Amino acid sequence: MTPESSFDWPQESMRAGNWSQAAERWGVIRKAYPDHPAPWFQCINAHLEANELEAVDPLLAIAIERFPNHPSSTIQPALLAMKRENWESAKDLLDQARQIHSGNAQTWTSCATLALHDNNFDEASRCQWRAVECSPTQANLLMRYAELAMDAERFDEALRRWEILRERFPEFPQGYKRASEAARALGDHETARDLLLAHQYGNDFIESDESTDTHVRRQPQSPLARLLGLVWTKAVFNLRSEVRRNYLSFGWWILEPLMYMVVYMVVFDVLLNRGGENYSMLLMTGLIPWMWTMKAISTSSVSILGGQNLMLQTGVHPIFFPLVMLLQATIKQIPVFILLVGFVWFNGSTPGLHWLAVIPIFIVQALFTAGFSLAVAAVIPFLRDLTNLVPTGLTLLMFLSGIFYDYKFIDEKWHDLFLMNPVAYLLTCYRDVFLDHTTPDFYSLAWRGIVFAAVCGLMVMCYHKLRYVYPRKVME
Amino acid sequence: METLISLTDVGVRYRRKGNIIRRPSYYQALKSITLDINRGESLGILGKNGAGKSTLLRVISGVLRPDQGKVVNNGHSVSLLALQAGFDPVLSGRENAILSGMLQGLTRREITSKLGEIHDYAEIGDFFFEPVRTYSTGMRARLGFSIATITRPDVLLIDEVLSVGDQEFRKKSERTLASKIRSGQSVVLVTHSLVQTRLLCDRVVSIEDGMAHEAGDLKAVSL
Repeated sequence: MTPESSFDWPQESMRAGNWSQAAERWGVIRKAYPDHPAPWFQCINAHLEANELEAVDPLLAIAIERFPNHPSSTIQPALLAMKRENWESAKDLLDQARQIHSGNAQTWTSCATLALHDNNFDEASRCQWRAVECSPTQANLLMRYAELAMDAERFDEALRRWEILRERFPEFPQGYKRASEAARALGDHETARDLLLAHQYGNDFIESDESTDTHVRRQPQSPLARLLGLVWTKAVFNLRSEVRRNYLSFGWWILEPLMYMVVYMVVFDVLLNRGGENYSMLLMTGLIPWMWTMKAISTSSVSILGGQNLMLQTGVHPIFFPLVMLLQATIKQIPVFILLVGFVWFNGSTPGLHWLAVIPIFIVQALFTAGFSLAVAAVIPFLRDLTNLVPTGLTLLMFLSGIFYDYKFIDEKWHDLFLMNPVAYLLTCYRDVFLDHTTPDFYSLAWRGIVFAAVCGLMVMCYHKLRYVYPRKVME
Repeated sequence: METLISLTDVGVRYRRKGNIIRRPSYYQALKSITLDINRGESLGILGKNGAGKSTLLRVISGVLRPDQGKVVNNGHSVSLLALQAGFDPVLSGRENAILSGMLQGLTRREITSKLGEIHDYAEIGDFFFEPVRTYSTGMRARLGFSIATITRPDVLLIDEVLSVGDQEFRKKSERTLASKIRSGQSVVLVTHSLVQTRLLCDRVVSIEDGMAHEAGDLKAVSL
């Protein structure tokens, strides 16, 4: 076993900064290897670091006697003198060391320490750099060289010195972290950040093209166009999602109104015998348009409350939510309307030009449905108790709209009042076309359309006004 | 340095809903916040849970209007990084990417042109075309983040997003954000990680009792 192999034990203590323990351990090693200079001079070093100066004198005397030509025989007395603040003596000793041991790194680090005492930064730097040149593989010498600049607050110089450390010893984090602090002290936040990032991710990260802008180039488009595009996409995707959840997929869009029709047929036509001639036609021409309005209103009513997270995350306009529900219900209505037309045709009602009147009726119903849905959706966040009233209200509206009966069976004195109900009026229009082969009163239809359009316009203004109120309301 | 968004004496209070028995009460989330967000700067926001950090981000993004003070934004775009915004578990990752991208302000054409990049960045392979309900939490986080990184508003707001997902994802997302910051993107980052704060932020503000306190020296920042 070589002496050097046993030095790890006390050196471990030195690395941990436990100098007293290191001195003790060197004492033990010294007994085993009394003719080796390291146990003597390292022990003295440990005592000096621990400020145990009384212990240094006897050891130093013996060490100098045994190893007179060793660099530490000249340097360590100088260190001891500095510890005792005997600066003149230290200076004389270090002058000697420079003459005799100019190739020893410790000579120059000690000179640097002496220069620092004299507040001579430049001299300290020169000496420390000589130490680096004497022992280029020792990273701590280079670190001290950079720290000198940090302590003197010469941060631009410190940056340069840390760069040297990074080039030679890239594995030491100080080269990045302390350099970052220097850059930050100079107000160069970008460089400070880059240094930390380089330490975290490697220099390749800084030098790569990762910072190149590959983001989307925004196309100019009005906010309204963006909103409508979003509404359309969301509605279509919601329908896709709905369809994928069920085995029968789109089939339910057709089956559902048919099932309702069967139920009402059984109840009113078969059981109660109140249907009358062509009851199925009457029922279909009432049920199908009604289901569109009913679904739009019921799904829209809680849409803003349900969209709380999305509204707070993305800042999407509150009107987005009821519009999506409205569009969803309308898209689902299209094949059902086609079914209605087919059903009516199949039952003997010959298509003619008068069927074109269905278009304005459909438009007016769309305006009514939109206005009513937007209104209900707008109010619910303020009066959440109304959520419980919506189903009841829709049920009442259903019964008062003549869906499964012809309003003409009601006492005539109630007809005008009855037809003030927009749903009831619209259903009579559809029945005029499909059952009575006539067109509705376009004047009545037109003024109702204007009123419903005005309501829609008013609701849009309301939503615009309350745009920043809804995000608060839904959080209550 | 150009100021993009300026908050002056901003305060926000929330109404706690009352009922037939209990009267409504109010909670002051932010009392008096004054801070500027400058171009090319990354600002860290620290604070305990419930300090008002998320509320502050919502005010900066324009989702919420303050009850007092003012927010000045001269037309700069602001986006809150929202992972999995609008995600529908039945739809595929691709479809959710389109929807989420549109919710964050892109047009259908814009987001569609970037689907390939989103797919590559997310590193979820063919799962991109499968329903999101089949994804692991980490995969959802990857997809959400990859969509969010495609946008480039003038100011990007990030609310603890970098703490989700597995370790690999966190590193990747942090690296992406670092890249954005290096490219001059202005970022406001809410994080509990001191390491992330030191790594990514030029300046730090801590929110305490509804007030903002500058903590310019990052060494002094403690959690």
